[in-house]
Amino acid sequence: MNYYREFAKGVWEKNPILILGIGMCPTLAVSTSVLNALWMTLAATFVLIFSNIIVSLVKSLVPSHIRIPIFIAIIATFVIIVELTLKAFQPDIYKSLGIFIPLIAVNCIILGRAEEFASKNAVLPSILDGLGMGLGFGLTLTVLAFFREILGSNRLFGYTLIPGMEPATIMTLAPGAFFTLAIMLWGMNAIKSRKRR
Amino acid sequence: MKASILRSTFILGLTAFVATFALSHIKAITYPVIQKQERRKQENALALVLPGYTTGEERSAVVNGRSFTYWTAEKTDGTLTLKAYAFITEKTGYGGVIRTMTGVDDRGTVLGISIIRQSETPGLGARALETASRSTFFQVITGRARETAGEPSPWFQEQFAGLNAAAKIGIVKKGDWTEAMRDELLRENSISAITGATFTTKAVKDGIEEGMAALRMALDEHAKAQEAPAP
Repeated sequence: MNYYREFAKGVWEKNPILILGIGMCPTLAVSTSVLNALWMTLAATFVLIFSNIIVSLVKSLVPSHIRIPIFIAIIATFVIIVELTLKAFQPDIYKSLGIFIPLIAVNCIILGRAEEFASKNAVLPSILDGLGMGLGFGLTLTVLAFFREILGSNRLFGYTLIPGMEPATIMTLAPGAFFTLAIMLWGMNAIKSRKRR
Repeated sequence: MKASILRSTFILGLTAFVATFALSHIKAITYPVIQKQERRKQENALALVLPGYTTGEERSAVVNGRSFTYWTAEKTDGTLTLKAYAFITEKTGYGGVIRTMTGVDDRGTVLGISIIRQSETPGLGARALETASRSTFFQVITGRARETAGEPSPWFQEQFAGLNAAAKIGIVKKGDWTEAMRDELLRENSISAITGATFTTKAVKDGIEEGMAALRMALDEHAKAQEAPAP
């Protein structure tokens, strides 16, 4: 097994958002500022890696017909750990991410990786898979947030870019997320089809 | 078949048990910290909405069939003793209840507000809490940022200071606020909305207006109760 491939596939070849098309809900919702995107990435990647580890460890003990509720229970446990930790030690971040922290439990990237990868592979490749997928998710989210924050709020990392300029608020709303995501998908597909030729 | 059901039940139960056991420990670690954060939030909120005042007693009253909590505060300015009040109001915004604490002096001028709890849309209504730095990105990366004392306070909440809570408060759709806009907005007793859609802004504004009316009634009742002590 090629460990590097297991790690790198999440970033490009099997990027959860741009190629697999999963995990769209938090992507569209929290990519309004780069800081939100980075914290969301951290939270989701933590859950992803640890749920992958546990799922991979217990995979032979779990009867296949009840695997989904067990995976969800494992994922939800780590989500609550993240939620409580953020609430206690990063209350401002917790406040600005709001409902999307508990919603990580139903993020299909995490259940998807548990079902698709961790339940069929050993611990080390599962960790790398989680790390790679988290990185792919995070990179997409950050690039998306980068454009949306600049165009939609005239800010970057919370700092004003051009004083006095009226930003295009639509970019922080749902349509702005769709526009940016569509352009990113277009760019990605353009590069891929050029490579194939 | 029977054995399989028993086995599945056992495994599911075991999973739930382990998860609960782990979470109870996490909860035990984080609970006191979260409690402390909440308490600090309330103290900070009181200090923020009543700048320079010393908080007195916490009073509860029933106004229009609803419970209403408010705090009294005092400040000595030379020989004068200035009175002020803080109250908490809840209004429904776009994503749920918005809990706001407002500080007013006895003439009804807003001293400050603080949004304690909200569940508005991140990036939209939740920007009511945004603490945007007044320095620009280029000033920060080139190291020319002005060193301002303390943390930047949320611009949306900052603009309420000086408004007359007893009169109608207007809303101007600007989506931003700068110190330069303060005088112009104060002249019109108005605030700048967070976004083009004004659900959140309106909820906060209505909360303050209603809270002010409730405070008046609660204070009247309190005064009456003081004059005529129960026989």
